[in-house]
Amino acid sequence: MNLKELYQEIILEHGKNPRNLRKTEDFNKDAKGNNPLCGDNVHVYLKLNGQKIVEDISFEGSGCAISMASASIMTDLIKGKNEHEAKEIVEDFLGMIKENPELMSENLDEDEKTKLMSLSGVKQYPMRVKCATLSWHTLISAFDENKEEVKTEN
Amino acid sequence: MNINQIKKEFPIFDEKIQNNDLVYLDSANSSQKPKVVVDRINEFYTKQFSNVGRSVHYLAVAATNLYENTRTSVQKYINAKDKNEIVFTKGATEALNLVANTLGQSYLQEGDEVLITELEHHSNYVPWHFLRKSKNIKINFAEINEEGEITLEEIEKKITPKTRLISITHLSNVTGAILPVKEITQLAHSKGIIVVVDGCQGAPHLKLDMQELDCDFYAISCHKMYGPTGLGVLYGKKKWLEELPPYQGGGGMINEVKKDRISYGELPNKYEAGTMATAQVIAFDQSIKFLESIGIENVMKHEADLVEYGQELLQKNNSVKLIGNPKNKGGVLSFVIEGVHPHDIATILDEDGVAIRAGHHCCQILHDKLNIPASARASVGIYNTKEDLDQLNESINNCKKIFNL
Ligand SMILES: Cc1ncc(COP(=O)(O)O)c(C=O)c1O
Repeated sequence: MNLKELYQEIILEHGKNPRNLRKTEDFNKDAKGNNPLCGDNVHVYLKLNGQKIVEDISFEGSGCAISMASASIMTDLIKGKNEHEAKEIVEDFLGMIKENPELMSENLDEDEKTKLMSLSGVKQYPMRVKCATLSWHTLISAFDENKEEVKTEN
Repeated sequence: MNINQIKKEFPIFDEKIQNNDLVYLDSANSSQKPKVVVDRINEFYTKQFSNVGRSVHYLAVAATNLYENTRTSVQKYINAKDKNEIVFTKGATEALNLVANTLGQSYLQEGDEVLITELEHHSNYVPWHFLRKSKNIKINFAEINEEGEITLEEIEKKITPKTRLISITHLSNVTGAILPVKEITQLAHSKGIIVVVDGCQGAPHLKLDMQELDCDFYAISCHKMYGPTGLGVLYGKKKWLEELPPYQGGGGMINEVKKDRISYGELPNKYEAGTMATAQVIAFDQSIKFLESIGIENVMKHEADLVEYGQELLQKNNSVKLIGNPKNKGGVLSFVIEGVHPHDIATILDEDGVAIRAGHHCCQILHDKLNIPASARASVGIYNTKEDLDQLNESINNCKKIFNL
Protein backbone atom coordinates (compact mmCIF):
# COMPACT_ATOMS: atom_id res chain seq x y z
CA MET A 1 0.00 0.00 0.00
CA ASN A 2 3.03 2.26 0.21
CA LEU A 3 2.68 3.25 -3.42
CA LYS A 4 -0.80 4.59 -2.78
CA GLU A 5 0.58 6.73 0.01
CA LEU A 6 3.38 7.98 -2.18
CA TYR A 7 1.25 8.74 -5.20
CA GLN A 8 -1.80 10.29 -3.60
CA GLU A 9 -4.31 11.97 -5.88
CA ILE A 10 -3.19 15.41 -4.81
CA ILE A 11 0.42 14.60 -5.73
CA LEU A 12 -0.57 13.24 -9.11
CA GLU A 13 -2.76 16.24 -9.73
CA HIS A 14 -0.07 18.78 -8.80
CA GLY A 15 2.51 16.73 -10.69
CA LYS A 16 0.40 16.87 -13.80
CA ASN A 17 -0.70 20.48 -13.50
CA PRO A 18 1.95 22.24 -11.44
CA ARG A 19 0.93 25.64 -10.06
CA ASN A 20 3.20 28.62 -10.65
CA LEU A 21 5.25 26.80 -13.27
CA ARG A 22 6.39 29.96 -15.00
CA LYS A 23 8.86 32.76 -14.53
CA THR A 24 8.00 35.81 -12.43
CA GLU A 25 8.93 38.58 -14.82
CA ASP A 26 9.91 41.15 -12.18
CA PHE A 27 11.54 38.74 -9.73
CA ASN A 28 14.20 40.17 -7.40
CA LYS A 29 15.66 36.92 -6.07
CA ASP A 30 16.22 33.53 -7.67
CA ALA A 31 18.24 30.35 -7.33
CA LYS A 32 18.83 27.14 -9.22
CA GLY A 33 18.97 23.60 -7.96
CA ASN A 34 19.57 20.21 -9.45
CA ASN A 35 19.96 16.56 -8.57
CA PRO A 36 23.02 15.47 -10.53
CA LEU A 37 22.09 11.84 -10.08
CA CYS A 38 18.54 12.13 -11.41
CA GLY A 39 18.87 15.07 -13.74
CA ASP A 40 15.99 16.85 -11.99
CA ASN A 41 16.37 20.61 -12.05
CA VAL A 42 14.50 23.59 -10.72
CA HIS A 43 14.81 27.36 -10.90
CA VAL A 44 12.90 29.29 -8.23
CA TYR A 45 11.97 32.97 -8.70
CA LEU A 46 10.87 35.27 -5.88
CA LYS A 47 9.41 38.71 -5.80
CA LEU A 48 9.70 40.23 -2.33
CA ASN A 49 8.21 43.60 -1.48
CA GLY A 50 9.62 46.17 0.95
CA GLN A 51 8.18 44.31 3.93
CA LYS A 52 9.88 41.13 2.76
CA ILE A 53 6.56 39.58 1.91
CA VAL A 54 6.55 37.12 -0.99
CA GLU A 55 4.39 38.88 -3.53
CA ASP A 56 5.04 36.28 -6.15
CA ILE A 57 6.87 33.00 -6.39
CA SER A 58 7.26 30.75 -9.40
CA PHE A 59 9.47 28.00 -10.71
CA GLU A 60 10.74 26.44 -13.88
CA GLY A 61 12.21 23.02 -14.28
CA SER A 62 11.54 19.39 -14.88
CA GLY A 63 11.48 16.30 -12.77
CA CYS A 64 9.42 13.41 -11.48
CA ALA A 65 5.87 13.68 -10.14
CA ILE A 66 7.18 14.01 -6.59
CA SER A 67 9.55 16.87 -7.30
CA MET A 68 7.06 18.75 -9.50
CA ALA A 69 4.23 18.32 -7.00
CA SER A 70 6.48 19.37 -4.16
CA ALA A 71 7.55 22.55 -5.94
CA SER A 72 3.97 23.25 -6.94
CA ILE A 73 2.59 22.86 -3.40
CA MET A 74 5.49 24.84 -1.99
CA THR A 75 4.93 27.84 -4.24
CA ASP A 76 1.22 27.79 -3.41
CA LEU A 77 1.91 27.86 0.32
CA ILE A 78 4.72 30.38 0.36
CA LYS A 79 2.95 33.06 -1.60
CA GLY A 80 1.83 35.81 0.77
CA LYS A 81 4.08 34.75 3.63
CA ASN A 82 6.99 36.90 4.76
CA GLU A 83 10.58 35.72 4.57
CA HIS A 84 10.76 34.75 8.21
CA GLU A 85 7.55 32.70 8.05
CA ALA A 86 8.57 31.10 4.78
CA LYS A 87 11.92 29.93 6.16
CA GLU A 88 10.23 28.55 9.22
CA ILE A 89 7.84 26.58 7.01
CA VAL A 90 10.74 25.19 4.97
CA GLU A 91 12.45 24.04 8.15
CA ASP A 92 9.26 22.42 9.39
CA PHE A 93 8.74 20.66 6.07
CA LEU A 94 12.32 19.34 5.91
CA GLY A 95 12.00 18.14 9.50
CA MET A 96 8.80 16.30 8.68
CA ILE A 97 10.26 14.64 5.58
CA LYS A 98 13.27 13.49 7.56
CA GLU A 99 11.82 12.39 10.88
CA ASN A 100 9.00 14.33 12.50
CA PRO A 101 5.60 12.66 12.36
CA GLU A 102 3.77 15.99 12.08
CA LEU A 103 4.12 19.54 10.89
CA MET A 104 4.36 21.97 13.77
CA SER A 105 4.61 25.36 12.15
CA GLU A 106 2.25 28.02 13.42
CA ASN A 107 2.49 29.71 10.07
CA LEU A 108 0.44 27.01 8.36
CA ASP A 109 -3.29 26.52 8.76
CA GLU A 110 -4.83 23.04 8.92
CA ASP A 111 -5.65 23.00 5.24
CA GLU A 112 -2.13 23.87 4.28
CA LYS A 113 -0.76 21.24 6.62
CA THR A 114 -2.97 18.56 5.09
CA LYS A 115 -1.76 19.53 1.65
CA LEU A 116 1.87 19.35 2.71
CA MET A 117 1.41 16.08 4.54
CA SER A 118 0.44 14.49 1.23
CA LEU A 119 4.19 14.43 0.56
CA SER A 120 4.91 12.43 3.70
CA GLY A 121 4.68 9.10 1.84
CA VAL A 122 8.16 9.89 0.53
CA LYS A 123 9.60 9.03 3.95
CA GLN A 124 9.38 5.35 3.08
CA TYR A 125 11.43 5.87 -0.06
CA PRO A 126 14.82 7.19 1.02
CA MET A 127 16.00 7.44 -2.59
CA ARG A 128 13.11 9.77 -3.36
CA VAL A 129 13.48 12.19 -0.44
CA LYS A 130 15.79 14.36 -2.48
CA CYS A 131 13.11 14.68 -5.17
CA ALA A 132 10.74 16.15 -2.60
CA THR A 133 13.25 18.49 -0.98
CA LEU A 134 15.08 19.96 -3.98
CA SER A 135 12.78 22.93 -4.55
CA TRP A 136 12.67 23.73 -0.81
CA HIS A 137 16.45 23.87 -0.50
CA THR A 138 16.47 26.00 -3.62
CA LEU A 139 13.93 28.40 -2.10
CA ILE A 140 16.21 28.97 0.89
CA SER A 141 19.07 29.54 -1.47
CA ALA A 142 17.03 32.17 -3.32
CA PHE A 143 16.20 34.00 -0.08
CA ASP A 144 19.84 33.95 0.96
CA GLU A 145 21.03 34.91 -2.50
CA ASN A 146 23.44 32.01 -2.75
CA LYS A 147 25.04 32.12 -6.11
CA GLU A 148 25.95 28.49 -6.11
CA GLU A 149 23.57 25.94 -7.51
CA VAL A 150 21.89 23.75 -4.91
CA LYS A 151 22.74 20.08 -5.25
CA THR A 152 20.72 17.66 -3.19
CA GLU A 153 22.01 14.17 -2.96
CA ASN A 154 19.84 13.46 0.04
CA MET B 1 20.44 -24.41 -23.03
CA ASN B 2 18.27 -24.32 -19.93
CA ILE B 3 17.99 -20.79 -18.60
CA ASN B 4 16.34 -21.83 -15.38
CA GLN B 5 19.31 -24.07 -14.72
CA ILE B 6 21.68 -21.17 -15.40
CA LYS B 7 19.61 -18.90 -13.19
CA LYS B 8 20.06 -21.36 -10.33
CA GLU B 9 23.78 -20.70 -10.46
CA PHE B 10 23.09 -17.13 -9.23
CA PRO B 11 22.39 -17.20 -5.48
CA ILE B 12 20.67 -13.81 -5.50
CA PHE B 13 17.65 -15.29 -7.24
CA ASP B 14 17.01 -17.44 -4.15
CA GLU B 15 16.47 -14.26 -2.16
CA LYS B 16 13.17 -12.50 -1.68
CA ILE B 17 13.58 -8.81 -2.40
CA GLN B 18 10.99 -6.95 -0.30
CA ASN B 19 8.86 -10.13 -0.43
CA ASN B 20 9.12 -10.40 -4.20
CA ASP B 21 10.97 -12.67 -6.56
CA LEU B 22 13.67 -10.58 -8.12
CA VAL B 23 13.14 -9.57 -11.74
CA TYR B 24 16.56 -8.15 -12.41
CA LEU B 25 16.61 -5.98 -15.50
CA ASP B 26 19.60 -3.80 -14.69
CA SER B 27 22.48 -5.84 -16.08
CA ALA B 28 23.75 -3.02 -18.28
CA ASN B 29 24.43 -1.25 -15.01
CA SER B 30 26.00 -4.27 -13.35
CA SER B 31 25.36 -7.99 -13.66
CA GLN B 32 24.59 -10.41 -10.86
CA LYS B 33 27.30 -12.87 -9.83
CA PRO B 34 27.27 -16.65 -10.21
CA LYS B 35 28.08 -18.70 -7.12
CA VAL B 36 31.41 -19.85 -8.54
CA VAL B 37 32.65 -16.27 -8.60
CA VAL B 38 31.46 -15.46 -5.09
CA ASP B 39 32.90 -18.72 -3.77
CA ARG B 40 36.21 -18.13 -5.46
CA ILE B 41 36.64 -14.81 -3.64
CA ASN B 42 35.83 -16.47 -0.35
CA GLU B 43 38.15 -19.40 -1.03
CA PHE B 44 41.04 -17.16 -2.00
CA TYR B 45 40.72 -15.05 1.13
CA THR B 46 40.21 -17.99 3.47
CA LYS B 47 42.72 -20.49 2.09
CA GLN B 48 45.13 -18.95 -0.36
CA PHE B 49 45.57 -15.28 0.38
CA SER B 50 48.82 -13.50 -0.21
CA ASN B 51 49.91 -10.43 -2.11
CA VAL B 52 51.17 -11.12 -5.59
CA GLY B 53 54.51 -10.56 -7.25
CA ARG B 54 56.43 -9.44 -4.17
CA SER B 55 57.55 -12.33 -2.01
CA VAL B 56 59.09 -15.71 -2.60
CA HIS B 57 57.11 -17.67 -0.04
CA TYR B 58 54.75 -20.39 -1.15
CA LEU B 59 51.50 -18.46 -0.88
CA ALA B 60 52.89 -15.47 -2.74
CA VAL B 61 54.06 -17.58 -5.61
CA ALA B 62 50.77 -19.46 -5.79
CA ALA B 63 48.75 -16.22 -5.72
CA THR B 64 50.93 -14.71 -8.43
CA ASN B 65 50.33 -17.74 -10.61
CA LEU B 66 46.59 -17.55 -10.09
CA TYR B 67 46.62 -13.85 -10.89
CA GLU B 68 48.58 -14.44 -14.08
CA ASN B 69 46.30 -17.34 -15.02
CA THR B 70 43.41 -14.90 -15.28
CA ARG B 71 45.47 -12.72 -17.57
CA THR B 72 45.97 -15.67 -19.86
CA SER B 73 42.28 -16.58 -19.69
CA VAL B 74 41.31 -13.04 -20.65
CA GLN B 75 43.84 -13.05 -23.46
CA LYS B 76 42.34 -16.22 -24.88
CA TYR B 77 38.76 -15.11 -24.30
CA ILE B 78 39.21 -11.94 -26.31
CA ASN B 79 41.76 -13.49 -28.69
CA ALA B 80 44.51 -11.00 -28.04
CA LYS B 81 47.84 -11.82 -29.63
CA ASP B 82 49.90 -11.43 -26.50
CA LYS B 83 49.29 -11.96 -22.79
CA ASN B 84 51.03 -8.68 -22.06
CA GLU B 85 48.35 -6.83 -23.97
CA ILE B 86 46.03 -7.41 -21.01
CA VAL B 87 46.21 -4.80 -18.24
CA PHE B 88 44.07 -4.95 -15.11
CA THR B 89 42.52 -1.71 -13.92
CA LYS B 90 39.94 -0.76 -11.33
CA GLY B 91 37.25 -0.57 -13.97
CA ALA B 92 36.54 0.45 -17.53
CA THR B 93 36.56 4.03 -16.34
CA GLU B 94 40.16 3.72 -15.22
CA ALA B 95 41.05 1.90 -18.44
CA LEU B 96 39.70 4.78 -20.53
CA ASN B 97 41.40 7.35 -18.31
CA LEU B 98 44.66 5.46 -18.68
CA VAL B 99 44.41 5.57 -22.46
CA ALA B 100 43.45 9.26 -22.63
CA ASN B 101 46.06 10.26 -20.09
CA THR B 102 49.00 8.44 -21.63
CA LEU B 103 48.08 9.36 -25.20
CA GLY B 104 47.70 12.92 -23.98
CA GLN B 105 51.17 12.84 -22.45
CA SER B 106 53.01 11.60 -25.49
CA TYR B 107 50.91 11.35 -28.61
CA LEU B 108 48.13 13.90 -28.97
CA GLN B 109 49.17 17.46 -29.71
CA GLU B 110 47.44 20.80 -29.44
CA GLY B 111 44.90 21.16 -32.23
CA ASP B 112 44.53 17.41 -32.76
CA GLU B 113 40.99 16.16 -33.04
CA VAL B 114 39.38 13.28 -31.20
CA LEU B 115 36.17 11.89 -32.65
CA ILE B 116 33.67 10.36 -30.24
CA THR B 117 29.90 9.84 -30.61
CA GLU B 118 26.71 11.15 -29.08
CA LEU B 119 26.16 7.70 -27.61
CA GLU B 120 29.17 7.80 -25.33
CA HIS B 121 29.05 7.15 -21.62
CA HIS B 122 30.56 9.96 -19.56
CA SER B 123 33.62 7.78 -18.99
CA ASN B 124 34.37 7.92 -22.70
CA TYR B 125 33.92 11.68 -22.87
CA VAL B 126 35.19 13.26 -19.66
CA PRO B 127 38.76 11.84 -19.98
CA TRP B 128 39.00 13.40 -23.46
CA HIS B 129 37.54 16.60 -22.06
CA PHE B 130 40.50 16.71 -19.64
CA LEU B 131 42.75 16.81 -22.71
CA ARG B 132 40.59 19.48 -24.26
CA LYS B 133 41.35 21.55 -21.15
CA SER B 134 45.00 20.67 -20.68
CA LYS B 135 46.20 20.23 -24.26
CA ASN B 136 43.71 22.13 -26.33
CA ILE B 137 42.67 19.15 -28.36
CA LYS B 138 39.28 19.35 -30.05
CA ILE B 139 36.45 16.87 -29.53
CA ASN B 140 34.03 16.16 -32.36
CA PHE B 141 30.81 14.19 -32.04
CA ALA B 142 29.47 11.73 -34.58
CA GLU B 143 25.70 12.09 -34.52
CA ILE B 144 23.06 9.43 -34.12
CA ASN B 145 20.50 8.80 -36.83
CA GLU B 146 16.74 8.42 -36.30
CA GLU B 147 17.17 4.85 -35.10
CA GLY B 148 19.74 5.78 -32.48
CA GLU B 149 22.62 4.26 -34.46
CA ILE B 150 26.05 5.51 -35.43
CA THR B 151 26.78 4.51 -38.99
CA LEU B 152 30.10 4.04 -40.73
CA GLU B 153 29.07 6.82 -43.13
CA GLU B 154 28.54 9.25 -40.26
CA ILE B 155 31.99 8.43 -38.87
CA GLU B 156 33.50 8.91 -42.30
CA LYS B 157 31.75 12.27 -42.63
CA LYS B 158 33.12 13.51 -39.32
CA ILE B 159 36.73 12.53 -39.95
CA THR B 160 38.90 15.53 -40.80
CA PRO B 161 42.58 15.74 -41.72
CA LYS B 162 43.20 16.57 -38.05
CA THR B 163 41.42 13.54 -36.60
CA ARG B 164 44.01 11.44 -34.81
CA LEU B 165 41.84 9.25 -32.66
CA ILE B 166 38.36 7.76 -32.66
CA SER B 167 36.88 6.56 -29.38
CA ILE B 168 33.56 4.75 -29.59
CA THR B 169 31.31 2.46 -27.66
CA HIS B 170 30.91 -1.10 -28.94
CA LEU B 171 27.27 -1.27 -27.83
CA SER B 172 25.23 1.69 -26.61
CA ASN B 173 24.06 1.39 -23.02
CA VAL B 174 20.95 3.42 -23.93
CA THR B 175 19.78 2.63 -27.47
CA GLY B 176 21.42 -0.79 -27.61
CA ALA B 177 22.96 0.03 -30.99
CA ILE B 178 25.92 -2.18 -31.88
CA LEU B 179 28.49 -0.12 -33.74
CA PRO B 180 30.35 -1.45 -36.81
CA VAL B 181 33.62 -1.35 -34.90
CA LYS B 182 35.56 -3.53 -37.31
CA GLU B 183 34.62 -1.41 -40.32
CA ILE B 184 35.23 1.82 -38.44
CA THR B 185 38.66 0.55 -37.43
CA GLN B 186 39.53 -0.38 -41.00
CA LEU B 187 38.52 3.05 -42.19
CA ALA B 188 40.38 4.78 -39.37
CA HIS B 189 43.56 2.79 -39.84
CA SER B 190 43.55 3.53 -43.56
CA LYS B 191 43.86 7.18 -42.51
CA GLY B 192 46.38 6.60 -39.73
CA ILE B 193 43.81 7.19 -36.98
CA ILE B 194 43.89 5.09 -33.81
CA VAL B 195 40.76 3.49 -32.42
CA VAL B 196 39.73 3.13 -28.78
CA VAL B 197 36.65 1.06 -27.97
CA ASP B 198 34.56 1.32 -24.83
CA GLY B 199 33.68 -2.35 -24.62
CA CYS B 200 31.71 -2.22 -21.37
CA GLN B 201 28.48 -3.34 -22.96
CA GLY B 202 30.11 -5.30 -25.75
CA ALA B 203 32.23 -7.63 -23.66
CA PRO B 204 29.44 -9.37 -21.69
CA HIS B 205 27.18 -9.85 -24.69
CA LEU B 206 29.20 -10.15 -27.91
CA LYS B 207 31.86 -12.43 -29.29
CA LEU B 208 35.20 -10.75 -28.83
CA ASP B 209 38.15 -11.15 -31.13
CA MET B 210 40.73 -8.41 -30.76
CA GLN B 211 42.77 -9.58 -33.72
CA GLU B 212 39.75 -9.51 -35.96
CA LEU B 213 38.40 -6.18 -34.63
CA ASP B 214 41.93 -4.79 -34.87
CA CYS B 215 41.17 -1.79 -32.63
CA ASP B 216 44.11 -0.31 -30.74
CA PHE B 217 42.50 -0.30 -27.29
CA TYR B 218 39.45 -2.02 -25.81
CA ALA B 219 38.13 -1.29 -22.31
CA ILE B 220 36.20 -3.93 -20.35
CA SER B 221 34.21 -3.66 -17.14
CA CYS B 222 34.39 -6.96 -15.24
CA HIS B 223 31.44 -6.26 -12.97
CA LYS B 224 29.13 -6.18 -15.96
CA MET B 225 30.54 -9.51 -17.11
CA TYR B 226 29.37 -11.66 -14.19
CA GLY B 227 32.56 -10.72 -12.39
CA PRO B 228 33.56 -8.78 -9.27
CA THR B 229 33.39 -5.02 -8.82
CA GLY B 230 36.56 -2.95 -8.64
CA LEU B 231 38.02 -4.58 -11.71
CA GLY B 232 38.39 -3.71 -15.35
CA VAL B 233 40.55 -4.82 -18.22
CA LEU B 234 42.36 -2.69 -20.72
CA TYR B 235 43.37 -4.43 -23.89
CA GLY B 236 46.01 -2.44 -25.76
CA LYS B 237 48.11 -3.39 -28.73
CA LYS B 238 51.58 -4.24 -27.56
CA LYS B 239 53.25 -1.57 -29.64
CA TRP B 240 51.13 1.08 -27.92
CA LEU B 241 51.58 -0.21 -24.41
CA GLU B 242 55.31 -0.41 -24.96
CA GLU B 243 55.55 3.01 -26.47
CA LEU B 244 53.28 5.00 -24.16
CA PRO B 245 54.47 6.32 -20.78
CA PRO B 246 53.23 4.85 -17.49
CA TYR B 247 49.97 6.08 -16.00
CA GLN B 248 50.37 5.80 -12.23
CA GLY B 249 53.63 5.58 -10.35
CA GLY B 250 54.37 3.39 -7.36
CA GLY B 251 55.40 -0.08 -6.38
CA GLY B 252 55.34 -2.88 -8.88
CA MET B 253 55.61 -0.71 -11.98
CA ILE B 254 59.28 0.14 -11.64
CA ASN B 255 62.50 -1.45 -12.74
CA GLU B 256 65.10 0.56 -10.86
CA VAL B 257 64.66 3.52 -8.52
CA LYS B 258 67.58 5.83 -7.74
CA LYS B 259 67.71 9.30 -6.28
CA ASP B 260 68.41 10.79 -9.67
CA ARG B 261 66.66 8.41 -12.05
CA ILE B 262 63.90 5.86 -12.30
CA SER B 263 63.32 3.24 -14.93
CA TYR B 264 60.02 1.54 -15.43
CA GLY B 265 59.09 -2.11 -15.48
CA GLU B 266 58.12 -4.19 -18.45
CA LEU B 267 54.60 -4.97 -19.54
CA PRO B 268 52.18 -5.66 -18.00
CA ASN B 269 53.64 -4.46 -14.68
CA LYS B 270 54.30 -1.04 -16.14
CA TYR B 271 50.57 -0.27 -15.93
CA GLU B 272 49.76 -2.11 -12.71
CA ALA B 273 51.12 0.14 -9.99
CA GLY B 274 50.44 -0.71 -6.37
CA THR B 275 48.58 -3.65 -4.90
CA MET B 276 45.97 -4.68 -7.40
CA ALA B 277 42.47 -6.08 -6.89
CA THR B 278 44.00 -9.51 -6.43
CA ALA B 279 40.98 -11.46 -5.22
CA GLN B 280 38.81 -9.94 -7.92
CA VAL B 281 41.28 -10.81 -10.65
CA ILE B 282 41.52 -14.38 -9.43
CA ALA B 283 37.73 -14.68 -9.18
CA PHE B 284 37.25 -13.16 -12.62
CA ASP B 285 38.77 -16.31 -14.06
CA GLN B 286 35.60 -18.04 -12.92
CA SER B 287 33.43 -15.49 -14.74
CA ILE B 288 35.23 -16.28 -17.95
CA LYS B 289 34.92 -20.02 -17.36
CA PHE B 290 31.23 -19.49 -16.62
CA LEU B 291 30.71 -17.64 -19.91
CA GLU B 292 32.75 -20.23 -21.79
CA SER B 293 30.72 -23.05 -20.32
CA ILE B 294 27.56 -21.53 -21.79
CA GLY B 295 29.20 -20.41 -25.00
CA ILE B 296 29.03 -16.82 -26.20
CA GLU B 297 27.02 -17.85 -29.28
CA ASN B 298 24.33 -19.21 -26.96
CA VAL B 299 24.44 -16.06 -24.84
CA MET B 300 23.99 -13.93 -27.93
CA LYS B 301 21.15 -16.05 -29.25
CA HIS B 302 19.31 -16.01 -25.94
CA GLU B 303 19.68 -12.28 -25.44
CA ALA B 304 18.67 -11.51 -29.02
CA ASP B 305 15.48 -13.55 -28.49
CA LEU B 306 14.78 -11.68 -25.28
CA VAL B 307 15.26 -8.27 -26.85
CA GLU B 308 13.05 -9.10 -29.79
CA TYR B 309 10.36 -10.36 -27.44
CA GLY B 310 10.64 -7.37 -25.12
CA GLN B 311 10.67 -4.91 -27.98
CA GLU B 312 7.49 -6.38 -29.40
CA LEU B 313 5.77 -6.33 -26.01
CA LEU B 314 6.65 -2.72 -25.34
CA GLN B 315 5.85 -1.60 -28.87
CA LYS B 316 2.36 -3.00 -28.42
CA ASN B 317 1.95 -1.21 -25.13
CA ASN B 318 0.56 2.16 -26.07
CA SER B 319 2.00 5.11 -24.20
CA VAL B 320 5.38 3.35 -24.05
CA LYS B 321 7.89 4.84 -26.43
CA LEU B 322 11.10 2.94 -27.05
CA ILE B 323 14.29 4.93 -27.48
CA GLY B 324 16.12 3.97 -30.62
CA ASN B 325 15.35 1.19 -33.04
CA PRO B 326 18.74 0.02 -34.29
CA LYS B 327 18.95 -2.86 -36.73
CA ASN B 328 21.80 -4.36 -34.77
CA LYS B 329 20.65 -4.21 -31.18
CA GLY B 330 21.98 -5.55 -27.89
CA GLY B 331 20.02 -6.36 -24.75
CA VAL B 332 18.94 -2.87 -23.79
CA LEU B 333 15.36 -1.55 -23.81
CA SER B 334 15.22 2.14 -22.96
CA PHE B 335 11.87 3.81 -22.93
CA VAL B 336 9.74 6.69 -21.79
CA ILE B 337 6.06 6.80 -20.91
CA GLU B 338 4.32 10.04 -21.73
CA GLY B 339 2.99 11.51 -18.50
CA VAL B 340 5.12 9.42 -16.14
CA HIS B 341 8.63 10.46 -15.24
CA PRO B 342 11.25 7.65 -15.39
CA HIS B 343 11.94 7.93 -11.64
CA ASP B 344 8.31 7.35 -10.88
CA ILE B 345 8.34 4.38 -13.25
CA ALA B 346 11.37 2.89 -11.48
CA THR B 347 9.84 3.35 -8.02
CA ILE B 348 6.56 1.75 -9.06
CA LEU B 349 8.27 -1.17 -10.82
CA ASP B 350 10.47 -1.73 -7.80
CA GLU B 351 7.39 -2.39 -5.72
CA ASP B 352 6.87 -5.52 -7.85
CA GLY B 353 10.50 -6.58 -7.53
CA VAL B 354 11.33 -5.33 -11.03
CA ALA B 355 14.73 -3.65 -10.92
CA ILE B 356 15.41 -1.21 -13.74
CA ARG B 357 17.39 1.98 -14.01
CA ALA B 358 16.03 5.50 -14.41
CA GLY B 359 18.01 8.59 -15.21
CA HIS B 360 20.38 9.59 -17.96
CA HIS B 361 22.53 6.47 -17.52
CA CYS B 362 25.69 8.61 -17.63
CA CYS B 363 24.74 9.70 -21.16
CA GLN B 364 23.65 13.30 -20.81
CA ILE B 365 24.78 14.27 -24.30
CA LEU B 366 22.48 11.63 -25.78
CA HIS B 367 19.50 12.60 -23.62
CA ASP B 368 19.98 16.26 -24.55
CA LYS B 369 19.98 15.24 -28.19
CA LEU B 370 16.79 13.25 -27.72
CA ASN B 371 15.38 16.20 -25.82
CA ILE B 372 14.43 14.17 -22.75
CA PRO B 373 15.85 14.73 -19.26
CA ALA B 374 15.84 11.04 -18.42
CA SER B 375 14.68 7.63 -19.54
CA ALA B 376 13.83 4.26 -18.02
CA ARG B 377 16.01 1.34 -19.01
CA ALA B 378 15.46 -2.40 -18.77
CA SER B 379 18.52 -4.43 -19.71
CA VAL B 380 18.96 -8.18 -19.86
CA GLY B 381 21.55 -10.74 -18.92
CA ILE B 382 21.97 -14.47 -19.36
CA TYR B 383 19.65 -15.21 -16.42
CA ASN B 384 16.61 -13.36 -17.75
CA THR B 385 13.56 -15.07 -19.17
CA LYS B 386 10.57 -14.02 -21.24
CA GLU B 387 8.54 -14.19 -18.03
CA ASP B 388 10.73 -11.37 -16.67
CA LEU B 389 9.74 -9.23 -19.62
CA ASP B 390 6.07 -10.15 -19.17
CA GLN B 391 6.38 -8.97 -15.57
CA LEU B 392 8.04 -5.77 -16.78
CA ASN B 393 5.13 -5.13 -19.09
CA GLU B 394 2.59 -5.89 -16.39
CA SER B 395 4.28 -3.56 -13.93
CA ILE B 396 4.36 -0.85 -16.58
CA ASN B 397 0.61 -1.29 -16.88
CA ASN B 398 0.28 -0.87 -13.14
CA CYS B 399 2.28 2.31 -13.46
CA LYS B 400 -0.13 3.61 -16.06
CA LYS B 401 -3.03 2.73 -13.81
CA ILE B 402 -1.58 4.63 -10.85
CA PHE B 403 -1.08 7.65 -13.09
CA ASN B 404 -4.58 7.32 -14.53
CA LEU B 405 -3.30 6.85 -18.08
C1 LIG C 1 29.14 2.14 -21.87
C2 LIG C 1 29.81 2.23 -20.54
N1 LIG C 1 31.05 2.74 -20.46
C3 LIG C 1 31.71 2.83 -19.29
C4 LIG C 1 31.15 2.41 -18.09
C5 LIG C 1 31.94 2.50 -16.81
O1 LIG C 1 32.45 1.26 -16.44
P1 LIG C 1 33.06 0.96 -15.00
O2 LIG C 1 31.91 0.89 -14.06
O3 LIG C 1 33.75 -0.38 -15.12
O4 LIG C 1 34.04 2.00 -14.67
C6 LIG C 1 29.86 1.87 -18.14
C7 LIG C 1 29.22 1.42 -16.91
O5 LIG C 1 28.55 2.13 -16.19
C8 LIG C 1 29.18 1.79 -19.39
O6 LIG C 1 27.94 1.31 -19.47
